[in-house]
Amino acid sequence: MKHVSMLTVRRRLIIVFFLLAVYFLIMFGRLAFVQLVSGDEIMESAEDLWTRDIPFQAERGEILDRNGEVLVGNTVAPSLAVVPKQIEDPEKVADELMSIISIDREKLMEHLTNNVSVEMIHPEGRKLSKTQANEVRNLNLPGIYLAEDSTRFYPYGTQLSHVLGFTGIDNQGLAGLEASYDDQLSGENGALSFFSDAKGGRMNDRSNRYTEPADGKKLSLTIDAEIQAIVERELDQAVATYNPDSALAIVMDPQNGEILSMATRPTYHPNQYQSVSPEVYNQNLPVFNTFEPGSTFKIITLSAALEEGLIDLDKDTYYDQGYVKVDGARLRCWHKGGHGDQTYLEVAENSCNPGFVNLGQMVGKERLFTYIKEYGFGKKTGIDLEGESSGILFKEDQVGPVELATTSFGQGVSVTPIQQITAVAAAINGGYLYEPYVVKGLYDPKTNEPVMEREPKLKEQIISNETSKEVRRALEHVVSKGTGRGAYVEGFRVGGKTGTAQKVGEDGNYLENNHIVSFMGFAPADKPEVLVYVAIDNPKDTVQFGGVVASPIAGRIIDDVLSHKNTDKQQGLEKEYQWPESPPVEVPNLIGETTNDLQQYLSSLAIDVKGEGEKVISQSPESGTKVKPGSTIRVFMGE
Amino acid sequence: MGKNHTEKSIDLVLMTAILILLFVGAVMVYSSSSIWAGYQFNDEFFYLKRQILFIGFGLFAIWFTMKVSYHHWLRFSLWIYLLCLLLLIAVLIPGVGLVRGGAQSWIGVGAFSIQPSEFMKIGLIILYASLLPKVQKKLKHFTKGFLPILLFIVVPFGLMMLQPDLGTGLVFICTGIFMIFISGAKIKHFAILGGAGIAGFIGLIASAPYRMSRIHAFLNPWEDPLGDGFQIIQSLYAVGPGGLMGLGFGNSMQKYFYLPEPQNDFIFAIIAEELGLIGSTFILFLFFVIIWRGVLISLHTEDISGSLLAFGVTTMIAIQVMINISVVIGLIPVTGITLPLLSYGGSSLTITLFALGILLNISKYAKFPVR
Repeated sequence: MKHVSMLTVRRRLIIVFFLLAVYFLIMFGRLAFVQLVSGDEIMESAEDLWTRDIPFQAERGEILDRNGEVLVGNTVAPSLAVVPKQIEDPEKVADELMSIISIDREKLMEHLTNNVSVEMIHPEGRKLSKTQANEVRNLNLPGIYLAEDSTRFYPYGTQLSHVLGFTGIDNQGLAGLEASYDDQLSGENGALSFFSDAKGGRMNDRSNRYTEPADGKKLSLTIDAEIQAIVERELDQAVATYNPDSALAIVMDPQNGEILSMATRPTYHPNQYQSVSPEVYNQNLPVFNTFEPGSTFKIITLSAALEEGLIDLDKDTYYDQGYVKVDGARLRCWHKGGHGDQTYLEVAENSCNPGFVNLGQMVGKERLFTYIKEYGFGKKTGIDLEGESSGILFKEDQVGPVELATTSFGQGVSVTPIQQITAVAAAINGGYLYEPYVVKGLYDPKTNEPVMEREPKLKEQIISNETSKEVRRALEHVVSKGTGRGAYVEGFRVGGKTGTAQKVGEDGNYLENNHIVSFMGFAPADKPEVLVYVAIDNPKDTVQFGGVVASPIAGRIIDDVLSHKNTDKQQGLEKEYQWPESPPVEVPNLIGETTNDLQQYLSSLAIDVKGEGEKVISQSPESGTKVKPGSTIRVFMGE
Repeated sequence: MGKNHTEKSIDLVLMTAILILLFVGAVMVYSSSSIWAGYQFNDEFFYLKRQILFIGFGLFAIWFTMKVSYHHWLRFSLWIYLLCLLLLIAVLIPGVGLVRGGAQSWIGVGAFSIQPSEFMKIGLIILYASLLPKVQKKLKHFTKGFLPILLFIVVPFGLMMLQPDLGTGLVFICTGIFMIFISGAKIKHFAILGGAGIAGFIGLIASAPYRMSRIHAFLNPWEDPLGDGFQIIQSLYAVGPGGLMGLGFGNSMQKYFYLPEPQNDFIFAIIAEELGLIGSTFILFLFFVIIWRGVLISLHTEDISGSLLAFGVTTMIAIQVMINISVVIGLIPVTGITLPLLSYGGSSLTITLFALGILLNISKYAKFPVR
């Protein structure tokens, strides 16, 4: 009996032993799984738990000009990082820190005692100066760290600010290229991690880990810093002289669409963007502004007429009686009394409105609008900058004879400066329309290996090489003999076209005495290397005429840019000096004339306008006086 | 029932495994507690010193039970059981029982306090070893044998739940049921018991919401990493990074206040962290040696009461080891029991060595086929 029961006991004992052994195997399996298979994964989260990170900012990529000049760099500006758990006496630490940075005591105490692993003293402790950083370092306080940080540095100050944009306190791109290329410029932040116990105390016996930050890519632009400096200088001077509402300029390489310079007034310093209104830093006028181009648009009309073979510049003529009647509307030429009988080359030289109406009518509505669209008007050029506008064209089914006529000389269409310069580049470079661009490439900050490199993007050929050549010839004549004489540069063959556009007010009507005066010029005329567009919005105390205000600016820019580029000097068309040989002219009676009317006298006289008002109330010398051509007549405006 | 004349020397393999574990335990109690000890008492050896003292007590206990023939325990089994029961009732009286960690489980003063539920485990094992062979026939009968015998488990278990001490209760109930099982109770009865057990388990959980949240935390520890999932996550944060070789002795990160009281219930986590899979497997191996020797002693003891006694002690230790380690490696929810021989603490260590001494004493009488 006893023996049998002992057998049961032993049999069941072995069953239990077997079960225990199996469970030990399960425990071993689980242990091996946790320690070997998921160990790395657990280790990763465990290290997050064990370490406290002092961030190390990646250095933001530099922005360089086409020759490698630094346009935007970085300067070291460490930031205060606090590990509150390691601070022994917050009150004392607060006293020490307040002698270095200016911060509200209560706020600082909050930072110092905050229940987090790492606290940044933001923004008062951000971007410290060298002296401040040294003072903090000398304090050698436990729990107070200097996190490597940097701030953007602009060697050229306000130059190119609208294109470059700016960054915020965390070096994040907020506007311009800084914003649109933020991902490539910013890089990956690193950190200094130190081990810490669960109470936040630093464990000195465990070595710190440094994760190197990966710096941002270098951004290389088509901009030439020296050309930019020339352009900025000229705009500064224009602002000082004319106090315009705004001003802008673009310099382009017409052979490939590269932007060499781009500038806007009013401007701002990227480090102090908060001190200007958002309209100032948000509006990169060369791509944002839309306005009636005025006469610079005549280049498009002229190229269309030439490409269609409708005229011969030298043989065909047009008679200008001072106005042209279209569909009952009377469209005046800017020159009172008209230009009389002219070849079409002279029509261009004189910027004769009725002559261009005639050209537009010959080309016809459909063909003219096809050219306008092919040249890229009415849609964005695709330039790699933010905030580009597309402009407005007449809807084709709404274009009657009057609309066709005004479009021919640049009224009733709304375009951007970048559209104009891109179109004209095509008109003068042999007919090739390129996409304008400012970013040449992205480069690795260490190896300088290209990460991305941009090639010029040819969109299409719009006119033939021959037509383009004729356009250049006509525009060279405009500068040497016609309305663009202000842009004439001794020793270079300059071509160009002036523009004076009326501005449309909020009520939809044209504003009185408020124009955008502009000039589109290029050189050398036989093989253009540089194309410049300058527009000054509402210059004060002057005759608002492109030939007076904008062409000299463009001329100086072209002169300096070509010298900078070491372009060989050559002799082109002689500038035509009309007055030395001419008989004296009689001073006209200007009393009662408006500033608009004054333009027509400018071919033979210079007019110096003083005073505020719409009409001339006195003049010197008196009317009837005989003076040399080109003499200056002072007028005073009133009423 | 008289003295067995085939008395030989004790099982040296078992003794060796016990001593190695005691040594490793002392070393690891030091390593895992030094940071806490330094922080709490400004003395990183605080827990080690006391553990050495406890080991001293324990060695005295093991020497004592090793020397005293196990038959004496069996003779007084009912009295021992009733004394333990009395203590278990006493601990529930306010003012007598001390509340530690939310449970009223201790009697005594300071370091010299004991846990009656620990004693009850031994009390039950001794009682069953003496009682079960006598009622082997009746045991087959559900109402006349099986259920009345179960009462010896159920009553103390109920008292333990009043403390509450689920961990010890679990070890207690499993040990008792295994002993009934090998004594020849019908499998069918265990099936009925199993059904009742599940119902009781659900009832227990329903009666104390913290148990439900522990189970929930076990299933989704990351849902509330700072709350109920905290210990499981912190434990895995120790075990996982240990890898194959471990971070090295003394190099645990989790003992730096991340894992609360690492020298107690989670000492195995620190072992796994510092000594890696190699070290933790070695500990598993040593415990398995104890189980293997225990089962061997039980198998080769001709006296059925001695065999049951040896089995009871072995099972008690095995279950406690399995529950503790399963918690540490995330196999079951947190229950709150110590790891025998390794965890810091006098009461647990003394009782364990006391029990192992009985096992060693039985080993003197075991007839091993080959030595």
